[in-house]
Amino acid sequence: MLNQNGLSLDQAPPIFVVFRFFFVGALFGILSGLFVLFFQETIFNAHSTEAIILTHTLTLGVMLSFMFGALFQMLPVIAGIKLTSPDLKANLLLYPFIVGIIALLFAFKLTTVSWLFLLASVLLGGSLLGIIVILLKNLFSLENHTSTSKGTTYTLLSLGIAVLFALYLTGTLAGVTEGSAYSHIKEAHYSFGLYGWIALLIISISFQVIEMFYVTPPFPKLFLNYMPATLFILLLLASLVGIFYPSIWLLADILLALLLGSYAVLTLKRFTQRKRPLTDATVWFWRLGLSSLLLSMLSLLLTLFIDYDPIKALSYIAFSSFGLSIVFAMFYKIVPFLTWFHLNSQGYISPPMMHQIIHPKMMMKHLYIHTATIVTFIFAIFIPQLIFLAGLLTILSFGWAGYQVVNAHLLYRKTQKTGKKFNMGSMY
Amino acid sequence: MIISNYMKNEHRECDTLFASAEEAIALGEWDVAEERFLAFSNEALTHFKKEEEELFPAFEAQTGMTEGPTQVMRYEHEQVRGLLGNMAESLEAKDKDACLSLAESMMILLQQHNMKEEQMLYAMCDRVLPAELKEKTLETMKNMSL
Ligand SMILES: [Fe+2]
Ligand SMILES: [Fe+2]
Repeated sequence: MLNQNGLSLDQAPPIFVVFRFFFVGALFGILSGLFVLFFQETIFNAHSTEAIILTHTLTLGVMLSFMFGALFQMLPVIAGIKLTSPDLKANLLLYPFIVGIIALLFAFKLTTVSWLFLLASVLLGGSLLGIIVILLKNLFSLENHTSTSKGTTYTLLSLGIAVLFALYLTGTLAGVTEGSAYSHIKEAHYSFGLYGWIALLIISISFQVIEMFYVTPPFPKLFLNYMPATLFILLLLASLVGIFYPSIWLLADILLALLLGSYAVLTLKRFTQRKRPLTDATVWFWRLGLSSLLLSMLSLLLTLFIDYDPIKALSYIAFSSFGLSIVFAMFYKIVPFLTWFHLNSQGYISPPMMHQIIHPKMMMKHLYIHTATIVTFIFAIFIPQLIFLAGLLTILSFGWAGYQVVNAHLLYRKTQKTGKKFNMGSMY
Repeated sequence: MIISNYMKNEHRECDTLFASAEEAIALGEWDVAEERFLAFSNEALTHFKKEEEELFPAFEAQTGMTEGPTQVMRYEHEQVRGLLGNMAESLEAKDKDACLSLAESMMILLQQHNMKEEQMLYAMCDRVLPAELKEKTLETMKNMSL
């Protein structure tokens, strides 16, 4: 029998998978705000335990949760990948992942408890490498590759490499391996994590969504075809050569900064060429994110030649702003659309419209909160007292996002309970 | 790639028409908005007709896949048609918020749909259809109207 509903919904993952990832991301965001309140300005010293704990809460807890939520949603559309039992796969990733992060954070704090590092390694390594292998297998078997599916392949390879390096690092901290290459592997680990995974994933997805959501001219072909591979090979070469010549990272960082900086400029330019002239909050989130990337790369270049801690701190803050701003830009497209789309596809006569699920004004308010958060962090480099305000704003910002997820979820449930349906059965 | 190129181009034309209609809605210029919306829906519906009556049947006959990707595409056309109807109603009622909200849903739906066609279906059509049939299908599509 032909089931019209199933056809299209088949391609979209169950909505709760996406909601769950986003909600967990928001909770870790609130946790990172609490850490800021407790750790205060020690977070600006990149070598402190506090900075490492905060960084991993943000990158693993927040960014990875949001990004995997978005990936589960987008892979069917951007690459034609249909995961079998996505619900089960998502849960097998999500729960060990959450426990793994918490174990890792405790391990960082209580450096002497080596079994915590091992527990974190098993949980995070197992869940992440597992899903990476599954997704890569799907990507490798694609017949028609696009710049986005190719870019996503490199980005998942990067994440896999970052995880493998992380296992070496936690192994050393747990006393399992000797760790003679510790500082080199550490550099390779965060380079692959920040640039190969976070930046490259945003870049690859943007190749399609910018054109799609905002109706802009496409990216230049040369850039589409070679940028992801270039970035990946650069990271790979630096990691290999760096074993013998650690100073290679200086050259690699310069090239990375130029590559990512030019991406930021190129994409900002696309936003001035939009055919859709309406400017909603997501356009500003993108602009803020891309400008932050540019700022982060400029300050990265400066740090290579000037040893001045505030510039380093600025580079970290700007890079976080890049990742988070774009996560929010995607979040505000995905949540209302998915909620509407699933209900509409289930045959409800008048499902809530996108603006009823999250009103544009709510997005604008979040944009102000988020921008204020970033600005406060930057000022806090020089005025330490402001760090409390930055922490509170972080909590507010992620609380806001979490509230939107819960609200969309409730609205979805309510429509399913009380909404009237077209009688699909009678059509056949 | 003659099918891909021709159809992709039509998608872009729809985007342009849509964007100009949306702009007029946002400005509250209802007469202009209605005119532009009509131009957009004509273009989109003609494009759907070309696919449903020419391209998809040719693909289905060639591959024997009648319940595969083309069926999903037909279903999504129905969803877009539904939204076009809703948008027309909200235009009539001059309800800006509802109209922009529907426009947003439709845009994402349509873009998502177009992307699947461009990356999978059209590419497959260009690969599996014999050259002669491709040209014949293309000629027929060029001459179609609502
Ligand atoms: Fe179509
Ligand atoms: Fe089409």
